[in-house]
Amino acid sequence: MAAAQPLLEVRDLKVHFFTREGVVRAVDGVDYSVNRAETLGIVGESGSGKTVSSLAMLRLVPPPARTVAGQILFDGEDLLTRTPKQMAALRGRHISMIFQNPATSLNPIYSIGAQLTEILTWHEKASRRDAEARAIELLGLVGISDPATRLRQYPHELSGGMRQRIGIARALLCNPSLVLADEPTTALDVTIQAQILELLAELQARFRMSMVLVTHDMGVVARMATRITVMYAGRVCETADAATIFNAPQHPYTRALLESMPRIDHSYAGPARRVLPSIPGRPPNLLNPPSGCRFHDRCPEAQAECRCLLPVETAVAPGHTVSCLRRGSPGIAA
Amino acid sequence: MGTARYIVRRLIFSAFLIIGVSIILFAMINAIGNPIEILLAERPGITDEIIESITQYYGLGGSVTDRYFTWLGAIIRFDFGTSIIYNLPVSEMLLTYGLETLKIQIPAILIALLVSVLISVLAATRQYSRIDFGVIAGAMVGHSLPGFLLGILLILLFSYWLGVLPSYGAYSTRNLLMDSMVIDGLWHMVLPVAMLAFFNTATLTLLLRASLVDVLRQDFITAARASGLPERRVVFGHALRNAFIPVLTYLGILFGLMLGTAPVTETVFTWPGLGALYIMAIQQLDYPLIMGATMIITFMLVTATLLTDIAYVIIDPRIRLA
Repeated sequence: MAAAQPLLEVRDLKVHFFTREGVVRAVDGVDYSVNRAETLGIVGESGSGKTVSSLAMLRLVPPPARTVAGQILFDGEDLLTRTPKQMAALRGRHISMIFQNPATSLNPIYSIGAQLTEILTWHEKASRRDAEARAIELLGLVGISDPATRLRQYPHELSGGMRQRIGIARALLCNPSLVLADEPTTALDVTIQAQILELLAELQARFRMSMVLVTHDMGVVARMATRITVMYAGRVCETADAATIFNAPQHPYTRALLESMPRIDHSYAGPARRVLPSIPGRPPNLLNPPSGCRFHDRCPEAQAECRCLLPVETAVAPGHTVSCLRRGSPGIAA
Repeated sequence: MGTARYIVRRLIFSAFLIIGVSIILFAMINAIGNPIEILLAERPGITDEIIESITQYYGLGGSVTDRYFTWLGAIIRFDFGTSIIYNLPVSEMLLTYGLETLKIQIPAILIALLVSVLISVLAATRQYSRIDFGVIAGAMVGHSLPGFLLGILLILLFSYWLGVLPSYGAYSTRNLLMDSMVIDGLWHMVLPVAMLAFFNTATLTLLLRASLVDVLRQDFITAARASGLPERRVVFGHALRNAFIPVLTYLGILFGLMLGTAPVTETVFTWPGLGALYIMAIQQLDYPLIMGATMIITFMLVTATLLTDIAYVIIDPRIRLA
């Protein structure tokens, strides 16, 4: 198993925004990999480069952003060297995406049926009738009642949870081997969130597909991810299997992130209340990122060397990599 | 079911709107003063008998309400009376001059629509590029250019210097080009249509490009691309139809007011159109002609607005038919 090639391997990916104010290093040298039939959770604060890096997988980063360096090996082939035509043939068919906001990610003026069948007739040259049958089948799979009627409805006639189910159905139409889910539950009510996560987990297991689940919510990755990559300021802090991240986190940022999660067995009110810990300071401005380790100015363990050396991700145990000088990562001057 | 009821309701509303305009028009034209007195002002040798007979001839006796209903009854039968200046039936004049205006306006709007779609797509898909800035600048200049200036430049270039296109009229007065009414007519249409199309293109491009830029930023466009749809389909299928929604109103007004919005073009190219005739009628206080032209333009605008509203229902399923 260990020798099996990962389905997706991202190496030293850099996506920069070329703005009037200067170059914003939104994703600045990121490595991660996704094995077959597993879910990789990518966790980080807003602005840590999560969404941009998943758009980069599809080569859809919007201008003024550009993927400036790195490799995205999908099934061993570098997506960054593919022609636009080859890339388009891959999108939606082998790699697809579930978007954050179901209210804006469906075209408001086309019926659900039109939007779903269009993808099938394009990719698989399916007939209208076959495409409709497949769309109905998938709507049933994602838990939508009366799918044949829904096909004729428009996005505004459906609830947020229902629209997200349609977003999921759209992503799965062509049986992709990799699904990128960008904060798929952030825009939904808490009760709906649980249902959608359950559905995603079920479908992922059923179709044995790989999934990249991008979120800022530790609770979401806790129940969904096989492995977790923690990102901070456009760089990876730590990658390990889910249990290790929660039970034996190494990177100070991962630890701080876990400590700042509210816990149900702690009381935050009353005379004996605890204060919910938070990470001091603010996420850095990526136009002018901190020198050395990006986290050093908010890190409780920072030393002088952290200010001038950029840590390189290093294995601390099999399948567990950390980039922190205090955990033995080598540093490069930057 | 809902759509049919909506259309019927809008039709009834439109009828009331036209009647409302007719009342206001009639009231205002009466407020100008007694037309007989204005027409005959300061002319020597006018006796009371002459005034009386002219009043009878134009049906200006009786109360205002009586005259309004007589007029309303007549215009329903498409009888707008006789032009005071030209001494011709107004309905006939509206038809002849109106058709000449439509002959240049309809092609101009259609050409502008096509060209502005192409230019807008070109610019919006390359936002903030040199092409985009060039299109914005060009459209701005075109939008702000005085109408007559372009007309005169076109005449100067194509009629005076190159001598390939006629500078005035709808047909040649002596020898028809290639002895054909159709070819000669088309030949005369080129410059006025070009002028109108140019201005329509400039304004439509400004609106459409902005709208398209906005739509192309939406999540559902990224989602369509992420589904692997080819760029052509994403832009023309998914983005353009959405981008048209805010432009539709302008397009409706463009079509609705088309009879009256070309007076400058019609004047520059001496085109026998309704816009120039209307201005002339106002200057000469040709009461029946003013009233007839106003009612025809009102009718066109109300109809176009109605069609625009129906088009909205077809293009945007989110519009509720209440």
